Amino acid sequence: MLAGIQKKSDLEWEVPVGFVPGMRVPGRFYLSDSLAATLEEGAIRQLANVATLPGILRNSLAMPDIHWGYGFPIGGVAAFDMTEGVISPGGVGFDINCGVRLLATPLGYKDVAGRRDLVDALYQAVPTGVGAKSSLRMDARALDGMMTKGARYAVESGFGLPGDLTRCEENGFMKAADTKPVSAKARQRGVPQGGTLGSGNHFLEVQVVREIYDPAAAQAFGIAEGQVCCMIHCGSRGLGHQVCTDHIAILEGATKRYNIKLPDRQLACAPVSSPEGKAYFGAMAASANYAWANRQLITHAAREVFRKIFSVPYEEMPLIYDVAHNVAKIEEHEDGGRKGPVCVHRKGATRAFGPGCRDIPPELAGIGQPVIIPGSMGTPSFVLKGTQGAMEKTFGSTCHGSGRVMSRSQAKKKISGKEVAAGLARQGIYVRAPNEAAISDEAPDVYKPSTEVVRVVHEAGLSRLVARLEPVGVIKG
Amino acid sequence: MSFEELPHTADVRIRARAATLDGIFADLTNALMQVMYGKEPHSPGLKGALTREIDASGDDTGSLLRNFLSDVLFVSEVDRIVFTGATVQVLEKEHTLHAVLSGEPFDPARHAGGTEVKGISFSGLRIEQDTNGYIAEIVFDV
Repeated sequence: MLAGIQKKSDLEWEVPVGFVPGMRVPGRFYLSDSLAATLEEGAIRQLANVATLPGILRNSLAMPDIHWGYGFPIGGVAAFDMTEGVISPGGVGFDINCGVRLLATPLGYKDVAGRRDLVDALYQAVPTGVGAKSSLRMDARALDGMMTKGARYAVESGFGLPGDLTRCEENGFMKAADTKPVSAKARQRGVPQGGTLGSGNHFLEVQVVREIYDPAAAQAFGIAEGQVCCMIHCGSRGLGHQVCTDHIAILEGATKRYNIKLPDRQLACAPVSSPEGKAYFGAMAASANYAWANRQLITHAAREVFRKIFSVPYEEMPLIYDVAHNVAKIEEHEDGGRKGPVCVHRKGATRAFGPGCRDIPPELAGIGQPVIIPGSMGTPSFVLKGTQGAMEKTFGSTCHGSGRVMSRSQAKKKISGKEVAAGLARQGIYVRAPNEAAISDEAPDVYKPSTEVVRVVHEAGLSRLVARLEPVGVIKG
Repeated sequence: MSFEELPHTADVRIRARAATLDGIFADLTNALMQVMYGKEPHSPGLKGALTREIDASGDDTGSLLRNFLSDVLFVSEVDRIVFTGATVQVLEKEHTLHAVLSGEPFDPARHAGGTEVKGISFSGLRIEQDTNGYIAEIVFDV
């Protein structure tokens, strides 16, 4: 472990105040010894940098999928006081409300095994990769609908079921959305990309539930062993990227005006309550809504494919849940014995609200919210449930995925996309992607093992395992 | 053209060297296009068929570079152009620039070899001058 880092328990580590100058609170992260072997100093420095921001509450936090990002580390969580604290696009990321959702089907493994035609049809139905255009003819009005009403806009336009909405974090849209601070440039990028998957780590997978760890929770969520599901991982596309780009420039000026000293320019920020802070928050919420609408549009396309190929009725493909993993929210949390609103940033981290929280579907109130953790291509994904432990330790947050360990340039040199695809095919996993690099970039070996990452959050009590899913078909952007 | 990719776990980190600041900005434009569209986007017949001009400004050279590349990304995506040439004139003291970019229409058959760039990051951004000219490092979020 890096010099200066203190082990607090088996899975908890502390970055003491003073690790970088100006820290206001200690950093805290969750990691097993085996994951510690790949910990980067740059990621810990970023965790410590976040602790220097004004109004940060309790700890700058990181989940076991921590790795080197920009501004906050990936896997970073921090909550800020509503009057003293700040909001920063560097704590959300370029891909606002990048998130993941899980869709159930009534099919079993035998129905989809070896069915390349299913994966090919999904690849045709969902535009993927660089320069992919939406098949929907969207206009400025539709864009406004997506930004203000999120998944609800898509459902009301005929792209989903009413029941989908209660199974989304925030019911699929943030009421705080404000489209005024969304620039013309951001809108221009948003219009042609509604319903597109994007590239990089975004994917759509056909998966099978291979193991249930918590039968009561699995039943309440609506998943059973052997069931075929569909997982969708994407975000707010060019619209969100541009909102981040625009507002970092605006907040750079604000950082100086409010006399905030920063160790990294990508942490540009402004008080939550300032006009600049509110403008970013409103535009970010509008982008988050676009992302929820986008995942809803892709869900519709996927359901149509299953309906056509397997004659599955549309209504028999309910949404299990949809979570955001790059977002800032105003949430009620306890701090120092007092419960009140705080501004929580999650950058590559997932909300994991426990039983009794009012922001989760009423039918799941006794269990906790579903937490969906995508694996990397070819490795298992997991469903977990939120816990009281997360409420107490991490402002209701857990990990978001497996976390990279190898750079894309190394991956290109070391790994052949063709060989990876052939290896996966031997395991019964069929991959469709626009190019070889899209496969080698995201090969299983470039990520921390997802199994170990979820074991850490499970044992640390930040969320508890419910089910493991394994892929049978993957489409990548 | 002189740029190289440096290791970065999550994103793409590029280092460029050039005799002049103009050259650094042009090299990084080419690096951005290569990341987005793959290594060989050129189509001889079409090269330079489309041009765009960009004026950018910033508070210092770093933010000028970040703002300029953010604009290149925007224009390339929205106008669906793969830029294959860049002439950039930087006014260093004013932190402004004028660029003329030339390129060809985006064609999924030839330009799908890259990955989307979500944004140009300030993290790890540095531009320095030494006896050999300029060196710059920048991170593209992908």
